[in-house]
Amino acid sequence: MRFKRSLKILLLFGWFLLPLFCFGDSQAGERFLQANALYGKGQYSAAAKEYKKLMDDGYASAALYFNAGNASYKNGDIASAILYYEKARKLSPGDDDINFNLKYANLKTVDKVDAAPEFFLTRWWKGLILSLSLKTLSMLSIILVLAGSAALILYFFAEAVNIKKAAFYLAVALYICGLCAVFIAGSQSGYFADHRQAIVFTSTVNVKSGPAERASTLFVLHDGTKVDILDDNNGWVKIRLANGNEGWIQQPDIKEM
Amino acid sequence: MKARYLIFIVLLFAIRPVLAQDVKFTASASKTTVGTGEQFEVSFSLNGNGGQFDPPDFGNFQILSGPNMSTSMESINGNTTVSSSYGFILMPIKEGEYTIAPASVVVNGRRLSTNPIKIKVVKGRPVPQGNQAQSGPDNSIAEGNTADLSKSIFIKAITDKNSVYQGQQLVLTFRLYTKVDIEQSQVDNVPDLNGFWNEDIKLPQQTQWRVESYKGARYNVADIKKNILFPEHAGNITIDPMKMTFILRVQAPSRDVFDQFFGTYKEVKYKVSSTPLVVHVRPLPDAGKPAGFTGAVGNFSVQSSVDKTELKANEALNYKVKVSGSGNIKLLKTLNTGFPADFEKYDPKITDSVDENENGVSGTRIYNYLLIPRHQGDFDIGPLKFSYFNPATGRYTTLNGKGFHIKVAKGLSESNVTAFSADKRDVKMLEKDIRYIKTSDAGLSKAGDQFFGSFGYYLILLIGPVVCYGAYAYRNRLRKYNSDVVMVKSKRAGKVAAKHLANAQKQLLANNTKAFYEDISKGLYGYLSDKLNIQYAHLDRETIVSALQARPVGQLLTQQLLDTLDLCEMARYAPVTHISEKEVFEKAKGIINDIENEI
Repeated sequence: MRFKRSLKILLLFGWFLLPLFCFGDSQAGERFLQANALYGKGQYSAAAKEYKKLMDDGYASAALYFNAGNASYKNGDIASAILYYEKARKLSPGDDDINFNLKYANLKTVDKVDAAPEFFLTRWWKGLILSLSLKTLSMLSIILVLAGSAALILYFFAEAVNIKKAAFYLAVALYICGLCAVFIAGSQSGYFADHRQAIVFTSTVNVKSGPAERASTLFVLHDGTKVDILDDNNGWVKIRLANGNEGWIQQPDIKEM
Repeated sequence: MKARYLIFIVLLFAIRPVLAQDVKFTASASKTTVGTGEQFEVSFSLNGNGGQFDPPDFGNFQILSGPNMSTSMESINGNTTVSSSYGFILMPIKEGEYTIAPASVVVNGRRLSTNPIKIKVVKGRPVPQGNQAQSGPDNSIAEGNTADLSKSIFIKAITDKNSVYQGQQLVLTFRLYTKVDIEQSQVDNVPDLNGFWNEDIKLPQQTQWRVESYKGARYNVADIKKNILFPEHAGNITIDPMKMTFILRVQAPSRDVFDQFFGTYKEVKYKVSSTPLVVHVRPLPDAGKPAGFTGAVGNFSVQSSVDKTELKANEALNYKVKVSGSGNIKLLKTLNTGFPADFEKYDPKITDSVDENENGVSGTRIYNYLLIPRHQGDFDIGPLKFSYFNPATGRYTTLNGKGFHIKVAKGLSESNVTAFSADKRDVKMLEKDIRYIKTSDAGLSKAGDQFFGSFGYYLILLIGPVVCYGAYAYRNRLRKYNSDVVMVKSKRAGKVAAKHLANAQKQLLANNTKAFYEDISKGLYGYLSDKLNIQYAHLDRETIVSALQARPVGQLLTQQLLDTLDLCEMARYAPVTHISEKEVFEKAKGIINDIENEI
């Protein structure tokens, strides 16, 4: 009796907890739809403002960032568009629309930075961990582990040998998949935590050789260029381009993702 | 007769010295030290008659003319002297010391050789290419006497300063001093002025003569050539001599009265060359040399200006720098402009208005820079820094031009994009526009609370394993129970009895005797119906007994069951006294349990 009750409590807990992570409140959803309507009418700056407000209120989602990016793009603010697209991509790395628009917006930036080619294993690994969004991965891991548990319970109580056998192997397989999902989700989370990236927002930035104004100018960047952040120092940020060039720029010139 | 022979013999002997006279064959050169490209004459002279002249090989010299043979015969008092000479006009090609090999000639069957001549060739003017045809000297013009004329006509090279800094301008003047009339003049050699960057000062076409006294004598003086020189390197730089050939009209010594009366003049060809001049060039001091110094020497001032300070991206901006002053203004290199790195800049258009005169080079140079800002923003054109060395003070001076703040507004975005897409032609345009917004599936959540890694996530993730563990424990316990058969059975029996006798127990507690017995009876019949799988309606004593006997149930138990059923039947009609209701209940329960245990 006791076990059944605890199981029930846990299930109830899950029943109430899961939706919390899945759905936002309806009021914000309505505002989102309103902003979409503005966008649809071609009032891009108004739509961008609405999206921005939603973000300022603390809401986030791949769709919100994507739409905000679109609105910024239509306003001609490429740097903001890229920033939003990148943020959206972070939430939903495998989304085709996001990747397409990001690529497209990158065509409009001034600086052409050829990325240094990556080792194919690194590329594959990155492709794997970025294939699904973190949310999807975490949901998937929970579902797989729960299914695995169900199969295991079946194994415990099944009488027929065939069912018992099948349930056992299924449980093992599901558990392994679930743990993989957890691992991939962890890797993705770690990847984004380690890769501090930023977009240059000032239309022209002189990249210096050191964190000081008098340091010599190494190269010039323009708005919309994505940089990796390596270090902070006194209001200066050490950045690296995709092609490996490094330098220092001032904090206000960039916006971190 | 004897005397005649004697005379004849004496005469023969008299001739003897003539014939036996030493025949000399000598070689001589007009100069033993010559410059390259300079002509000189080598002559081989023989005081006698010879033949089969064999000239030497003038390997390192170019033969301009020759052999020019001349023979002269002189007869003085019957003493006839014949002399012949072979002349060559040569020009050295390379510097060095050379020996002109002996020439030979056959005289009276004897072969005579000359002495070899050593010629030192020094650097002179470059060897003229091609065959230099020496214009034949005008025979009517006698070569001037060097000693006589050197005081009367000469060229002096004069500089206004003898010691200058590198890059500092100096004025070089070749000045002709003459006391004689010049019929004609020809410049043979203009100094190359190697080591200098030079600017010609234009002199009037007509030579300006003036009278000047030099070393106590009065001369007619004219400036032939004026240059402004800028030494290119430090050290002693020699200015080569200037060479001219003049045809002068000099008074000829008169031979007769008639000539004396009218005065006779003859034209004399005279070569004049100025003395080489050495200019001492000091290097620019290293002390205090500004970082942006590019070699400007003189005295300058700088003005910078822009045509606008506010413009749109992709519009042109003119940045003008005016450098004025005196010095090597034409040698000024690129300016140290502080343009923003992002501006597109083109090479400046340079306009010079420079005046060269006796005081040196002065004027202005205007640099016109065309700048195109490609992006919006606020930019600073740093103040122009212009450094120069002032030879008058011997110090460096740095002038600061004005800095400008340029506001660049956003240009037309269309042109912006085309301008850059041109740079990125290799990127394939995928489609014409971005994809449309996502209209559904907002999935809004509060930013920051990441589900993955949160407490809730791990909690939910743990549900599965925890439930599994619970199930595992539950199953184990179940197994343990099942393994204890008697306990399980009795437990089960108790349950079954309790189930069937539940109503009876209720009536017992309510002290409802009649209903109690009825329920006991109903419970027992119900149980038996279930247990023996006989329909309730078909149950009677016979069927019960036969069914129980078919199963391994003890006789005593069957009897007990029948007794209890009878008791219940009886209690419906008459009160039961010999046994309490509780005992009946326990008994019924016991019977059910026992049957359960046995079947």
